[in-house]
Amino acid sequence: MRAPILVLAAAALVCSESAYPQSVPLPRHPRELKYQPLSYTPPKPADFRHKLSNGATAFLVEDHDFPLINVSVLVRTGDYLDPAGKIGLAGLSGNQMRSGGTKSKAPAVFDEEVAFLAAQLNSGIADFNGQASLNCLSKDTDAGLALLVDMLRNPGFAEDRLKLAKNQILQSMERRNDNAPEIEQREFRRLVRGDKHFSSQQSTKVSIESITREDLAGFHEKYYYPSNFVFAVSGDFKTSELLAKLEKVLSGWPNRTDAVPPVPKPNYTLKPGIYVVDKKGVNQGRVRMGHLGVTFDNPDHIALNVMNGILGGSAFTSRITSRVRSDEGLAYQAASIFQHGTYYEGVFAAVFQSKSPSVAQAITIVNEEIDRLQNSKVTSEELTTEINSLIDSFPRRFSTASLKAGQFANDFFNKQPDDYWQKYRDRVRAVTADEVQRLAKKYLTPDRMVILAVGEYDAMAKGNPDKPQFSFDKLSGGKGVTKIPLPDPLTMVYP
Amino acid sequence: MRLKLSVALLLSSLALLAQQVPVQEFKLENGMKFLLVPRKGSPNIAAGWIAKVGAVNERPGITGISHLFEHMMFKGTQTLGTKNIEEDLKIGLQLDKVRGEIRKEEQVLTQQLREGKISDVKDPKVRTPRHQQLMTEFEALNKRQKDLMIKDEFDRVYTSGGASGMNAGTSEDFTIYFINVPSNKLELWYWMESDRLSNPVFREFYSERDVVHEERRLRTDSTPTGRFNEQFNALFWKSSPYGWPVVGWPSDLEAISREDALAYFGVNYAPNNLTACLVGDFEPAQAKALAEKYFGRLQRGLHDPEPLRTAETPQMGEQRMVAYADTNPEVRVRYHTVADGHKDEPAFLVLSTILNDRTGRLYKSLVLEQQVANQASSAHNGQKYEGYFELRGVAKPGKTPEDVEKALYKEIEKLQVDLVSERELQKVKNQLAAANFRGLQSDFSLMTQLLIFDSLRGWQIINTDPPKLQAVTPQDLQRVAKTYFPPEGRNVLVFYTKKKEAGGGQ
Repeated sequence: MRAPILVLAAAALVCSESAYPQSVPLPRHPRELKYQPLSYTPPKPADFRHKLSNGATAFLVEDHDFPLINVSVLVRTGDYLDPAGKIGLAGLSGNQMRSGGTKSKAPAVFDEEVAFLAAQLNSGIADFNGQASLNCLSKDTDAGLALLVDMLRNPGFAEDRLKLAKNQILQSMERRNDNAPEIEQREFRRLVRGDKHFSSQQSTKVSIESITREDLAGFHEKYYYPSNFVFAVSGDFKTSELLAKLEKVLSGWPNRTDAVPPVPKPNYTLKPGIYVVDKKGVNQGRVRMGHLGVTFDNPDHIALNVMNGILGGSAFTSRITSRVRSDEGLAYQAASIFQHGTYYEGVFAAVFQSKSPSVAQAITIVNEEIDRLQNSKVTSEELTTEINSLIDSFPRRFSTASLKAGQFANDFFNKQPDDYWQKYRDRVRAVTADEVQRLAKKYLTPDRMVILAVGEYDAMAKGNPDKPQFSFDKLSGGKGVTKIPLPDPLTMVYP
Repeated sequence: MRLKLSVALLLSSLALLAQQVPVQEFKLENGMKFLLVPRKGSPNIAAGWIAKVGAVNERPGITGISHLFEHMMFKGTQTLGTKNIEEDLKIGLQLDKVRGEIRKEEQVLTQQLREGKISDVKDPKVRTPRHQQLMTEFEALNKRQKDLMIKDEFDRVYTSGGASGMNAGTSEDFTIYFINVPSNKLELWYWMESDRLSNPVFREFYSERDVVHEERRLRTDSTPTGRFNEQFNALFWKSSPYGWPVVGWPSDLEAISREDALAYFGVNYAPNNLTACLVGDFEPAQAKALAEKYFGRLQRGLHDPEPLRTAETPQMGEQRMVAYADTNPEVRVRYHTVADGHKDEPAFLVLSTILNDRTGRLYKSLVLEQQVANQASSAHNGQKYEGYFELRGVAKPGKTPEDVEKALYKEIEKLQVDLVSERELQKVKNQLAAANFRGLQSDFSLMTQLLIFDSLRGWQIINTDPPKLQAVTPQDLQRVAKTYFPPEGRNVLVFYTKKKEAGGGQ
């Protein structure tokens, strides 16, 4: 063996003999470094907000560094508005607005115009909103806006494109049980939200096949009108000129008066336990374990961010990552999330993927870390790291014009108070170790948790022969696990 | 930053769109290069550096070491990560020694496996008492080292300083490290990066190797097509080192030692093989002074890393791989082409854009008109030493991968026979020009591009490559299609859907 100072010895093999060239001694540790204070005031949304005459709201942030313009639109609609029997209609409507041409332009003609302008034009519908966006050269602003508005206002929903999209959806539907991450997401949602809530409902072959061109047109008609839009515009334009352009392209587009239905809240009490989906042909188990989180209007939600950062939200400086990944080498990804939902409670979950035999061991470690957070105080170093991180990385939220406009539009859409970000850092700074422990006790309920593992059941249950102290049996207190069968991918009927 | 752009207003042509990214460049005496792009705006700096080394510089036995090494660079230094460096280094050496002894025991078991005497080398029952004893010793040493550690101090210092997005990536050709720091923490970046380059300690080497193994399971083993893609790539390259996966073959991952990693570091992470880049809110004069102060202590390697020796040997006949997987019926066709920077590369990039997207030929012809495919696309991958062009299509239900394959060849034939029209060419040139400078907007993306370009042929290509795309002619496209896509140059991967056992695999 070589001399004890292996690193230097090895480096000397390939390095020249010269000593360090500089004479100024370097600070021995980063804590000896001194920094200029960083003063930063977040931008105020009201300074960028404009109400258009037909009711739309727009946030405009100029940025003349590049001759580009970026327009995005949030629309009050969502997958939650899928009618019974037509699950998948909202999603299809959103993407067919982009794919099916417009009333005056066949799809091929419309697509060719977008492509020749080198513009990017998109549309889609997610759980709680519709989204559309345009990015083009600022010299093409008029032509780009005309295409965007034509798509939003007069979608053609061409039959052949709808037929193709349905065929593509049905083809990928057949693969629903092949991809472990997809199974994990789907089954965890069912365990936490129950089967009845829209968020855990899945389209089927029948529901997709039943969707017609008229359904798309009807869905579009109900939700796409100016007072239902929030615009976020950034890039190379003059605010007054762009406002006039928006007024012009949206003029004569009547609003509807009937209100968009509210997002339904789930009504389900989860059943704690260990659940396993036996997925063949993989050598890793994917685990997601947790329960409900909080809503956005819960005053504790910022302190809960700090708590979760220490538990598993801040990568390597958080406890779950540190123990599951760096101490034990049991996972590449190991983390936790604590969501605050806009419309109903978000989810708290710890997630990791580990080789099948070490799944039970890694679950045990996560349980220990939740327990530790509840029964002892976090160190002042952990707390300071988390608080400093949130405060010092704060300006990055607003670092570009498009981030600013996007943040403002999102906050407005979600009815977040205007002074939220002005007060944010003070609220973070106020979090104490006592507070973290109080929240951990109040909001983490490890005995009321669902633990889902997707992987080869036999290999996960067998465990690691070198570590017989870890097993599903021990984890469940002898109650055993509940196996979740895979559904028929086309009907979503579970055997 | 303001870019100097001259936008041609003729119709919608972007052909004359020119971009000049103003980069301030300097080199330290030890050979380390710095690229600076100061931009006012938000109080942030995107910072990173690149080592001109990747999986292609490995050899059988240590495949995956570039990537494993990337992980080890976050494990602390002689200054960060331990309460007692002397003791820590001693334990590190003892760990290597015990691990070496365990390795010998494992080799005996591997031989028994080869001879069919045992079926599982991981089964504790097949271990000798000495093997078991060594494993216990190893655990105890690990525990002693852990007790001295300041866990993840490297991450903690950065995180509490408000840095974010710290990560790194390894490819066949390079290894890149990056982060965002608040503008008042510029010196912290210099301190941290020069520290880990001048005195790294590869703590937790063996548990991190397990982490990399988990990464392999996640990305390759446990996805429906991961292992098939890996084997198709290995089939495609006959002699070139592009044939092994960046994450490494599992048997090599099990065997790489800390000594291997140290030898690799000495040559490939010497300053003469590195370029650093800052984009954002900083003063160039200060950035230069700090570079001398902190990175000046790195010592130049005795010699540059060896240039790559093994070139790909010409392909003598078509190769096919037929696979049954949990995926839709699909075909991929791959041809050998040219490396990054070859004079024909721009034509391939234009060609793939002509074929792709909503208005591209593959979608129009295979998906809309012939209705043989539900998806179709192509890509050129010009790597540092070799390159390839790949076409792929997912068969529409009722059609076969062979139907799609025939249709793809028909499209290639059209490119060989007919010249592409001026309007079609202009359209994709507009798209390529717009895409080029969309990519310059974000500080972070500009920083990573400058580093990657510098590791390939010099950062200047960010300014000189885009005009080459605009200069491609219909004749160029026809010529490359004729030259590089002969029938005997085909490499075909056919996927059929694997039949499930009755009951849906529960």
